[in-house]
Amino acid sequence: MALRYLSSRMTLGSRILSYRSSLASLHSHATSFGFQQVREEEKSKLVGNVFTNVASSYDIMNDVMSAGLHRLWKERLVGKLSPFAGMKHLDVAGGTGDVAFRIFDAFNSVKRRALRKVDEASHEETQIYVCDINPNMLNVGKQRAAERGLSDNRSLVWVEGDAEALSFDDNSMDGYTIAFGIRNVTHIEKAIAEAYRVLKRGGRFLCLELSHVDIPVFKELYDLYSFQVIPNLGELIAGDRDSYQYLVESVRRFPPQERFAKMIGDAGFEKVEYENLVGGVVAIHSAIKL
Amino acid sequence: MYRTAAKRLLGAGLTTSRLLRSPKLTSSTTIPSSHTSNLCTSSMGHTESPISNQSGPTSAGEGPRRKPRPEFQEEQARVLSASLRHVARLGWTEEAMMAGSRDVGVSPSIVGSFSRKEAALVEYFMDECLQLLVDRVDSGLDLQNLIPSERISKLVRVRLEMQVPYMSKWPQALSIQAHPVNVPTSFKQRAMLVDEMWHAVGDGASDLDWYVKRTVLGGVYSTTEIYMLTDDSPEYRETWEFLDDRVKDAFDLKKSIQEAKYFAQDIGAGVGKLFQGLMNGVMQSMSTRGGRSSSAF
Repeated sequence: MALRYLSSRMTLGSRILSYRSSLASLHSHATSFGFQQVREEEKSKLVGNVFTNVASSYDIMNDVMSAGLHRLWKERLVGKLSPFAGMKHLDVAGGTGDVAFRIFDAFNSVKRRALRKVDEASHEETQIYVCDINPNMLNVGKQRAAERGLSDNRSLVWVEGDAEALSFDDNSMDGYTIAFGIRNVTHIEKAIAEAYRVLKRGGRFLCLELSHVDIPVFKELYDLYSFQVIPNLGELIAGDRDSYQYLVESVRRFPPQERFAKMIGDAGFEKVEYENLVGGVVAIHSAIKL
Repeated sequence: MYRTAAKRLLGAGLTTSRLLRSPKLTSSTTIPSSHTSNLCTSSMGHTESPISNQSGPTSAGEGPRRKPRPEFQEEQARVLSASLRHVARLGWTEEAMMAGSRDVGVSPSIVGSFSRKEAALVEYFMDECLQLLVDRVDSGLDLQNLIPSERISKLVRVRLEMQVPYMSKWPQALSIQAHPVNVPTSFKQRAMLVDEMWHAVGDGASDLDWYVKRTVLGGVYSTTEIYMLTDDSPEYRETWEFLDDRVKDAFDLKKSIQEAKYFAQDIGAGVGKLFQGLMNGVMQSMSTRGGRSSSAF
């Protein structure tokens, strides 16, 4: 009887154990999708769904959610690059082309100035690659390019690809930017490692991302805005509350500025710095590969 | 004063940093303000500048054996040093820095990471020149047989001659240094330069005279520098004559200040006596008039 009691205890224990182990197996290959825990294989599919849903209203929603500020943030990001003739730039997760167009404009104005100066090494052509995992986002980008009359321009190249497994050669890019994309990646370290791989020596890594606010009162206001206002806006404008709920939750799950900077440094980058905009709502991390 | 401060800094191994560093790298001191960091690298760098010249062409092709990852500051210094070769043609500009970075085998994107880009190049050059000057003085620039005014002349001349290769673009460098954003650093660099020069002359005073001396020498140096911009005499002969005259004036200035002080005292005494005389006269006339009127009652 004692044995049966013991065995029943054990089965109970083992049930708990098995529950724990299954939970453990869930955790060992689990990642976050907003505040939910999901399996890694599912995350990219779920993210894919989110962006397929939001693609057409992505730009409008950006304007509404950030009250147009996202344009200033992207200007600031591009301002930190110094484009030059013959530059090869990669913009990852840049589906609708916001950052790419800005770099293109910046480069063109620089080129016109630099044409007056003699520069032997500028025989190579500037290339701006826009890489996105989601074809819908890329299509929106291509459409916008057509609207600007740039559809035949050889400088802009639209590539479908995964930030964790880029199809570009080692040491081939002078610049790498990722704007509001890295928090959607399943393995952030892999994306950073890929960035390190494709950059040339002296190449710059720039990441613009929603980040953590520490300022006391502002933090509460920001949380209120994020969780109460944005999903409702998503419902109203894009007809998709869940995607925007995911968006807001994924921001909270993303590592804070210092930890992300450490991750970048661990991948081998040098001179890792970050700049907080709007009190930490957005942060631009920059680094150099040497 | 600056020299001792710099020695203290280097000795203590200051480690403040806004920059995060990968833990894998050997740590070295990282100092936020650009000029002191350049001073560190340049003071360590004068031993490694011959090395960097040799490793310059080889750094482009690394081959299967990866050499240890260079310190970021060294790499920056190397890019800046290579950029100086292009300044005569391209000016103190980003293009020169990009050309320099290509020489070293690094992507020109690195230029985007320099804060105040062209100013970084100019400040690097100023630091290099200061270091060269210190080296020349230490390695026996003959100053013993000269009187102080001649020593000053020689030091300023040695320093200004370092700028001769860049003379065509020096006005641009001066305008970059005069930018409000860059003024703090350029002012500090010039102050250090002047301090070094007085130190080499052998002056160790630390009273009020210290400020006067440095200001005066700063003025002499700047005016000579600007005169040199428009001088096309062979080997800048006229500039050196101008310099000698200014130094003489500066040394005479001390005497002139004394003379002016005595002169002012004399005048003051004279005026004072005049005023006193006047006051006495007035008082007297008032008292007699008052006496006469009081006697009327």
